[in-house]
Amino acid sequence: MSIIKGISDKIRGKRQGHKDKTQLNSLSEATVYEALKSVVDPDLHKDIVSLGFVKKVEINGSIVNVTVQLTTPACPVKEELKKQCEDSILKIRGVNEVNVTLTFPSSSRPAQAAEKKNNGLVQVKNIIAVASGKGGVGKSTTAMNLARSLARTSAKVGVIDADIYGPSIPTLSQAGKPTQMDGELVIPPEVDGIKLISVSMFSQGDKAHILRGPMAANLVKQFLSGVAWGELDYLLIDYPPGTGDIQLTISQIASLAGAVIVTTPQELALADVKKAISMFTTMKVPIIGIIENMSYFICDGCEKKHYIFKTGGGKKLAKNSGLPLLGEIPIEPYIVKASDEGLDFDSEGSKLPESYKQVTDRVVRELAILNSNQGLGLNSFSLAWK
Amino acid sequence: MEKFYSVREIWQKDASTLGIVWSDGLESSYDVVMLRRRCPCAACVDEMTGKRLLSASQVKDSVRPVAINSVGRYALNIEFNDGHKTGIYSFESLRKPEMNHS
Repeated sequence: MSIIKGISDKIRGKRQGHKDKTQLNSLSEATVYEALKSVVDPDLHKDIVSLGFVKKVEINGSIVNVTVQLTTPACPVKEELKKQCEDSILKIRGVNEVNVTLTFPSSSRPAQAAEKKNNGLVQVKNIIAVASGKGGVGKSTTAMNLARSLARTSAKVGVIDADIYGPSIPTLSQAGKPTQMDGELVIPPEVDGIKLISVSMFSQGDKAHILRGPMAANLVKQFLSGVAWGELDYLLIDYPPGTGDIQLTISQIASLAGAVIVTTPQELALADVKKAISMFTTMKVPIIGIIENMSYFICDGCEKKHYIFKTGGGKKLAKNSGLPLLGEIPIEPYIVKASDEGLDFDSEGSKLPESYKQVTDRVVRELAILNSNQGLGLNSFSLAWK
Repeated sequence: MEKFYSVREIWQKDASTLGIVWSDGLESSYDVVMLRRRCPCAACVDEMTGKRLLSASQVKDSVRPVAINSVGRYALNIEFNDGHKTGIYSFESLRKPEMNHS
């Protein structure tokens, strides 16, 4: 949250130039609301007053203080909206200064009947599944870097490593083990402000995790409700690969806001992705979109994009499934190094942070559209022609 | 910036016209025969070159949909009574002015 105090000279000049034509009536709460109606959320296609985003309007002489609540701190257009709010209010006669404060809902996710008081999830706003149809597509790497990218926007983020049989989040993050309890809840270790939990934190060394399906599902259930997640904007669940029993169980117990599907450009991977999409659709979990990982390789000699797999697999899948392609992430040699050592990509020069940022912005936008699309559009339709 | 639309209302206007009201309030009308002739599927449009493989004369004026269903969040599929049902029309493509009939 930040406060920008601003009247630029440019705007002042503009005001004087059009004094009689564009100025609204004299300053009052009503005229401020009226002015803010010209600010439209680019994704929701509605003005911020109708959307109920304007929480407070205070007038103090010629100073206007406005509080606007956006859906998420990760909102990619927040600065743009703020600027528009300031500009629209400055057009009102008698306004000399505008302070726009952006806030974000502290906990909007309604606690569900099944969630008890000592449930770690009550203050978690969005639970997002990061899934794939098959293994080896870089799902955990994507999950961890989405988390890092979200955390950079000042959103509060957590990650559950639900890949019981092959947990990789601890390696990717170098997270330690949980050492403290809060009542009956485990306090998760944090890395770069991201709360993490994984099965490998509760086992010894390199021992394999031999668990029956129901036990594994139960373990994931404990990760969801038995951990002191506190207040989180996003909780990512790194799914085990495939579409089996555990995946179904998590989708049932987690009340997911949406799922992100990770794939590689290959035909084979895409065939499996279709199964994953079909699983989430059956479970009525909305799919936020598709991320194409390992899209291309930029070699250090020529800066050219080398498409080592096929090109356009993700695009084709997005087209045929009616789902957005959230982005294409290149392969870089040191993604391996950074992943193995649990480094954040920003610690070295790379194109990856920008790729992940673009994907993250798109995830945030798609999720915001999903969350507020109730009543705005149809989730699905079927029309029989007569 | 890209805009993302969803369908607020979809209905059959008359024997050969599909009506859609979009999430931003815009109302569009589509001639179903034109939709069939502009089918975007891989059998009707070459995927690599974008060249149209289906000629308008191959589609009879009497062609009508059987059913129209949503696909994901950003597209719809039309099954036609000539047996063709592979066309997936993205909302983005339907928003193009040249697709609009009215």
